[in-house]
Amino acid sequence: MDRDVLYRETFRIKGDAFEHGGEVATHIKTLLKQFGLAPDIVRRLSIANFEAEMNVVMYAREAELELLVYPDVVRVVVTDRGPGIADIAWAMQEGHSTATAEMRARGFGAGLGLPNIQRNTDELTVESTVNVGTTLRYAVLTAKPPEAGQ
Amino acid sequence: MDERRPLIIIDESKCVGCVACSKACPTSAVRVRDDVVHINRELCIDCGACVGACKRDALRPRTSSSADLERFKLRVAIPSVVLYGQFGDEIKPSQILHAFRSLGFDAARDISWVCEMVAAAVDSYLTDCGGPWPKISMTCPAVVRLIQLKYPDLIPHIIPIDTPRELAAKLHRRRLAAEHGIHPSEIGLFYISPCTALVDAIANPVGRQASHLDGAFSIAEVYGPLLRSIKVDPPPHANDDVSIRGLRWVMASGEIPGMRNANSINVKGLDDVVCVLDRIEGGTFNGADFINPFICSDGCFSGHLTVAGRFTAQRYLNQVVRQLGDPPPVKEEKIRTLLQSRFFDLDAAIQPGKTQPAQDLRQAVARQQRKKEICQRLPGKNCGACGAPDCDTLAGDMVAGQAEIGDCPFVRIEQLLHQLKTSDG
Repeated sequence: MDRDVLYRETFRIKGDAFEHGGEVATHIKTLLKQFGLAPDIVRRLSIANFEAEMNVVMYAREAELELLVYPDVVRVVVTDRGPGIADIAWAMQEGHSTATAEMRARGFGAGLGLPNIQRNTDELTVESTVNVGTTLRYAVLTAKPPEAGQ
Repeated sequence: MDERRPLIIIDESKCVGCVACSKACPTSAVRVRDDVVHINRELCIDCGACVGACKRDALRPRTSSSADLERFKLRVAIPSVVLYGQFGDEIKPSQILHAFRSLGFDAARDISWVCEMVAAAVDSYLTDCGGPWPKISMTCPAVVRLIQLKYPDLIPHIIPIDTPRELAAKLHRRRLAAEHGIHPSEIGLFYISPCTALVDAIANPVGRQASHLDGAFSIAEVYGPLLRSIKVDPPPHANDDVSIRGLRWVMASGEIPGMRNANSINVKGLDDVVCVLDRIEGGTFNGADFINPFICSDGCFSGHLTVAGRFTAQRYLNQVVRQLGDPPPVKEEKIRTLLQSRFFDLDAAIQPGKTQPAQDLRQAVARQQRKKEICQRLPGKNCGACGAPDCDTLAGDMVAGQAEIGDCPFVRIEQLLHQLKTSDG
């Protein structure tokens, strides 16, 4: 499968670096636009990347975000070192958040991060170990799959 | 967009081939090759940053000439309200408008009432319209061009209500033709502009097939003669018929006063405009329903073709507003009637900028990879000596076949040293 990777780049995200929050998502958006991907694909990936990036900034110590562009799909893997998520099913529901009052005061922590990633991607898996970290894998299909019967 | 006449006139006798203009350009449209400035018209958003950056006065926008005035029977100036803040807090709008008579104009007409009408029309539009949100104002033509060029997906966010300058020209042409009993085409309407973008917006309007204005002069060009005239030739009657709400709308910073749809913000300065447009495009913006963006850091007050400093000009205008008192607002029914008669409408679609020919994902990625590889060979000093503003842009030019690695002086020195070594050995 890796032979098919057209483009691969890894970005580092630092926890608590609010002053840089969103920069990786913006950088990737520019890149994907240059690749000529359709506007709605770029927007969906941009929203997912932004949510994933802000989750790292708010909760984790640091993370790598790996961007993988295939001929028919864009995959993103975000591997963080941080507190982990004790109950993934709970965190996947809208409005569920462990954000502190301070984070909420900054306009974050509405409990929409993971659900928002799920809404904007075609695949999402979350693996997490408490006190070790979380790995998010998500993908957006860029080419329409052939219709059934064709 | 690609058919536009060059906006910037380059005086090669003054240009020394420094790269100030190239480095100032927000869209990397300027190159300095062999001491000659080249501006890529397809990438130019008319912001005038290059004009402002040139310390040698080698760049200026193509404004109208006195010969252009001669073509008309009746010549009328329509100044940007920014002009009202250029002369001091003692000088009233009526004095400034009157002074145009000694500059070869037959009259000058105020635009502030139309600003108020447009503000009301925008407010009404915001109440009735559907998505996509947020809506974006088209007041600043450099922002509109930036959207066409870099954010074409955001074109549906632009409010299709024409600008005060165009609507004022449409209105005044009609009135003046009736008043003077002449054909509308015999009237020359000239905008007095604070910036290069507005000069080009008349020659090459967006959302209009043709401008209602016949040309433009810069505030800087008319400033000296106006100042002298104001001193020696006061108007017989001081009748300051200006809209305070219109002026406030123009002066607004932050939230826009007097709007029913209060969830609005002014975004000023290129960096902030880009940041907000990026957020809207990325689907992560939720700050306001209406964005009024300006490419210059203090809106039109910091246009490159103004004379008074932007802070001073705003203070003066504030002072003038305080002295003039508050005339009654434009009646809501009038705005409603005008909206129904489609007075505010554009008459052409806002087109996306010239897009690159659709390319295969594989090719596009390969180009990007090549660019990255080239970047690794460049020194990353972003000195601009090659003529491109930074190493990244030079790499892009090389991928496009418009430059070569030897254009970089650092790489060139290395190459020459290497040649020297091999010829010695």
